[in-house]
Amino acid sequence: MVNAIKGIFISCDVPMAQFIVNMNASLPASQKFIVHILDSTHMFVQPHVVEMIRSKIAEFREQNTYEKPA
Amino acid sequence: MAGDGDRGRPSKKFKISSKAAHFVDDVELDSAADFDEDSRERERDANKRDFTKLELKVDHSNRPLWACADGRIFLETFSPLYKQAYDFLIAIAEPVCRPESMHEYNLTPHSLYAAVSVGLETETIINVLNKLSKTKLPKEMIDFIHGSTANYGKVKLVLKKNRYFIESPFPEVLKTLLKDDAISKARISLEEYQAGETFSVSKTPGEMDTHSGLLDGADLAAAAEEKETHSFEIDPAQVLSGIIVLPCGAGKSLVGVSAACRIKKSCLCLATNAVSVDQWAFQFKLWSTIRDDQICRFTSDNKEKFRGNAGVVVTTYNMVAFGGKRSEDSEKIIEEIRNREWGLLLMDEVHVVPAHMFRKVISITKSHCKLGLTATLVREDERITDLNFLIGPKLYEANWLDLVKGGFIANVQCAEVWCPMTKEFFAEYLKKENSQKKQALYVMNPNKFRACEFLIRFHEQQRGDKIIVFADNLFALTAYAMKLRKPMIYGATSHQERTRILQAFKHSPDVNTIFLSKVGDNSIDIPEANVIIQISSHAGSRRQEAQRLGRILRAKGRLQDRMAGGKEEYNAFFYSLVSTDTQEMYYSTKRQQFLIDQGYSFKVITSLPPPDTGPELSYYHLNEQLDLLNKVLNAGDDVVGLEQLDEDADDIALLKARRSVGSMSALSGASGMVYMEYNTGHGKKTAQGQTKTKQKDPSKRHALFKKRFG
Repeated sequence: MVNAIKGIFISCDVPMAQFIVNMNASLPASQKFIVHILDSTHMFVQPHVVEMIRSKIAEFREQNTYEKPA
Repeated sequence: MAGDGDRGRPSKKFKISSKAAHFVDDVELDSAADFDEDSRERERDANKRDFTKLELKVDHSNRPLWACADGRIFLETFSPLYKQAYDFLIAIAEPVCRPESMHEYNLTPHSLYAAVSVGLETETIINVLNKLSKTKLPKEMIDFIHGSTANYGKVKLVLKKNRYFIESPFPEVLKTLLKDDAISKARISLEEYQAGETFSVSKTPGEMDTHSGLLDGADLAAAAEEKETHSFEIDPAQVLSGIIVLPCGAGKSLVGVSAACRIKKSCLCLATNAVSVDQWAFQFKLWSTIRDDQICRFTSDNKEKFRGNAGVVVTTYNMVAFGGKRSEDSEKIIEEIRNREWGLLLMDEVHVVPAHMFRKVISITKSHCKLGLTATLVREDERITDLNFLIGPKLYEANWLDLVKGGFIANVQCAEVWCPMTKEFFAEYLKKENSQKKQALYVMNPNKFRACEFLIRFHEQQRGDKIIVFADNLFALTAYAMKLRKPMIYGATSHQERTRILQAFKHSPDVNTIFLSKVGDNSIDIPEANVIIQISSHAGSRRQEAQRLGRILRAKGRLQDRMAGGKEEYNAFFYSLVSTDTQEMYYSTKRQQFLIDQGYSFKVITSLPPPDTGPELSYYHLNEQLDLLNKVLNAGDDVVGLEQLDEDADDIALLKARRSVGSMSALSGASGMVYMEYNTGHGKKTAQGQTKTKQKDPSKRHALFKKRFG
């Protein structure tokens, strides 16, 4: 019997993949969203987390960006 | 050109960053193109503020300025009137940002005070500004100039016979002042008070001409001389207090010495540490005709007696401001300093001294005129504005790009090298329990190490350059220096060893690279170096970045080669290695702001080392990288942190009793120091040995080893 899971395929660079993995690991078991890590730059995740990942990454990058005060 | 491997591949950097961002579509490469940024910023401001009301004059194309109602002024550097407009603007406004084609200035109350104090009148300022501006001057700006200059120059504080007097040609102003409690109490009875006398430095009796004239100098002198005349000849009848801002290597000390020569009075020169005290004394001997016995150095190890009735005293801020008990000798000298009138108080590196210490120094010493010198008038704590009333207005700020164009300072290519974190290092970086080690992790990033090694090899072998590598993080400094087998200097390096290493760096063809911790930021003078690689830095300190750049600003080579279009357009290189996706990116951009405001642009390099380099650089194999990672994780938090430098305490350190907590057995020498393990196997240095002993504390031992010793 073949099991089909609907999901989202993510392609990113090495550090961001680690960021997502780390995010996944920090969540309790019931909320873990990574279905499969394909290699160091690709992974397959559950479809409902896309927005969350987007905003977390945006937030993380925001922290590392300096804006010159006007 | 060095590190230019990515020139033909601009798409590369966008690819990497867009890949990394994935969802974030607007990636700003601030440092990549300064002009772009400048114009973008102006566009943004144009949206924010509406300037359609400004009326263009008919012949606007002949005029170089745009004046806006909010006090900002833009200057076109390609205008034929640039030189005149620049000289005028620098006198009345603060430079904000000065890239190649367009300068931004800001009118502030302080800058207008400075303008009035050099003798420019309110009406003159408005007239000239109106003449130069493309648009009719906004009413707000005229009002602002009137408002800021109205109260200035009414009262003078005059030093006579070691007492300060208030002088004013306006009786009503004096009456207002007398209403103040503190002032009215300090009032001296009328007979004593002689009004109407003007301030003149040449009056004090008992002074003789200390020095006469400058010795003729190298071309450097020309650069500095030009600056100096700017600030002192605007109104020669009047001696001003103020601050002069010049980049490192442009001849700050020469300006100081020539100011002292012109004033021809006793001069008290304050420097930041003992090394620069020696340098200042040397500069005075070099550039002026003062006799050796008229210069006296006053530091903790060098208490030269002040002889005769005029001369130069060179000392440190700490020595003067120190409040505790002094030795007998220094007490006498301080008393001498306190009791006399100084013609000039010369203050080096004014930006470093905190306000409370300044106040103390200024209250102790009485001088007719104060001159502050600095290269970087920025402080992260914004205390810099205090200097305006403690010393005086900023009199002159050199334009770095003009000095580069004139060939007076080196033309530096600045680059930011983006090093992606490796998978393993980034995974550890993200873990919460490693928050103390974040810095160590992004500094020790193997990709960064490889980029550093690549740059060192490239510059040593292909160009024969002399390289300084800066690392604030002591752990990284030792690790890099050991691995690459290069000499290093940090806080604990003894004076003899420092001198030995620096001598070797200067003269030996075999030593082309040295590693410096932040001790090298200011005081070490290494004119030979022309490449800087920065692997770690003190958070977002703009000053440190500029000071480090200053290490390679001294012009080298022949003048014609250095001019635009000459053989070597760039003869110095400044690389800042940054691990992407880490805090370092934030700090790095912040640090660059000062240099960007001076018109420098940072080129982003993403493909270093080139992808085809293999095992000839270190940490090529994964297991080597993992070894390194383990080393970082196992090091104690105290080891991976920032280097703590002892203050340059001079006299103070010698007198204060040191108290340390110790057990009885430790005091008696029986603290169990029977065996000491020396690590001889890999030629590791003592710093490593210390980390080993420190780790024996079981609570600090890494989880992996706890079991083994458990």
